[in-house]
Amino acid sequence: MECCSRHVPMERAARYSSILIERFFKFDVRNESDFHDWKIEGENFEYINVPYFELIDGVNSVIDRLPKEKEVVVVCAKGGSATFVAEQLVEAGFDNIYTLVGGMKAWSEHLHKAKVYEDDKMKVYQFIRVGKGCLSYMVISGKEALVVDPSRFIDVYEQVAKEEGVAITHIVDSHLHADHISGGKALAERTGATYYLMKSEGAVFDFEPLEKHDRIDFAQVQLEVLAVKTPGHTPGSVSFFVNNQLLFSGDTIFVGGLGRPDLGGKAAEWVADLYDTVYEKVAAIADDVIVLPAHYANLDEEMSKAGYIGDTLGNIRARNDMMRYKQKQEFIDIVVQNANTETPPNFEDIVAINRGLKAVDIEQQQELEIGPNRCALHHTR
Amino acid sequence: MNANKIIDTKGLSCAMIVVKAKKAIDDLPPGQILEIETTDQGAKNDLTAWINVSGHELVDYKEENGVWKFWIKRK
Repeated sequence: MECCSRHVPMERAARYSSILIERFFKFDVRNESDFHDWKIEGENFEYINVPYFELIDGVNSVIDRLPKEKEVVVVCAKGGSATFVAEQLVEAGFDNIYTLVGGMKAWSEHLHKAKVYEDDKMKVYQFIRVGKGCLSYMVISGKEALVVDPSRFIDVYEQVAKEEGVAITHIVDSHLHADHISGGKALAERTGATYYLMKSEGAVFDFEPLEKHDRIDFAQVQLEVLAVKTPGHTPGSVSFFVNNQLLFSGDTIFVGGLGRPDLGGKAAEWVADLYDTVYEKVAAIADDVIVLPAHYANLDEEMSKAGYIGDTLGNIRARNDMMRYKQKQEFIDIVVQNANTETPPNFEDIVAINRGLKAVDIEQQQELEIGPNRCALHHTR
Repeated sequence: MNANKIIDTKGLSCAMIVVKAKKAIDDLPPGQILEIETTDQGAKNDLTAWINVSGHELVDYKEENGVWKFWIKRK
């Protein structure tokens, strides 16, 4: 994060949004609908939203609403408008003004690496895409690494593999993503790793169908593919159960609740699969297993004390009656009632790209991914 | 559509498009039409929101070969 009058390194500011909460007053100058649709999240955020185009003739109207003694970060879509407003504020005598360099676009692309787990057999990193609520993972064992649900910023995984002195040999996608563009295919092409995806998800390029694999073994890792028809945007979501200790739950179970089976327009049909998954497959998994999902909804609530997004299955079950006491019909009724009509922005294009049916350049990829993640819907408890 | 004035903001993004649009339309007499050409996809939301607060009227818009055109009537 740079600024016009001061300088804050991006890495430090984006480390968690909780750091931003304490440090910055946020002045979002995007138009009101974009602001309401998607903003930097966090608990005790102090915010004002006045679109930059109301400040073209001067910033007098907001001067009294901005703190003088606390850092103010000006936020816009791509960085330009924030600079425009920040310069005026500096001219008006403020010396506490920062801008979010690259705007919400850059914010949505930042990956934060957190260590989740380490024993004598494996080490696991989580990559938190703070601005988007997406999670990806690297499981390292011996001289190899497996990547779960990679984002399109594949350089990050290659860099970590290099630092760890390992080769990326396996890549898995838990489902066909609807909210972000998968890096799976590109990372497989770059590294020569095997890329696994459910055939039922409809991808048209070459990949290894997960349907053919009950498990993936490498070095000292045994990954069990829980290939159940779990909810999601298409009926081919899976979870990965690693060494009987970690459950990469994809879009099935989140720290705060269950996945949403409504994106395919078949909520009533797919919710029955979700019930079977939770009450048959997941119910048989021990309480102390750590659940590592593909998304989160609220960083502050869902981040563990150790600094990653995840929790034990026991804790998640204890907080979520939907996972314990419901009869099938009641469960279905509740989920269908809560079915959300809001879809991730541009999800049809993103699905087409992830299936290999459509190709777009980097700039279009950025445009398509800008916006809120709406996959981690929380059901009423 | 015939415009009384055309401004080219191709290659510009964010604030500068609306800033230019505002300056241009302030120079027009009421009722006249300003045409804005832009390559920034995000401009639509911003222009629409600005028009709403400023009281001008968005008469029409369309996209041609990656260039967005907006016609705005001065209030």
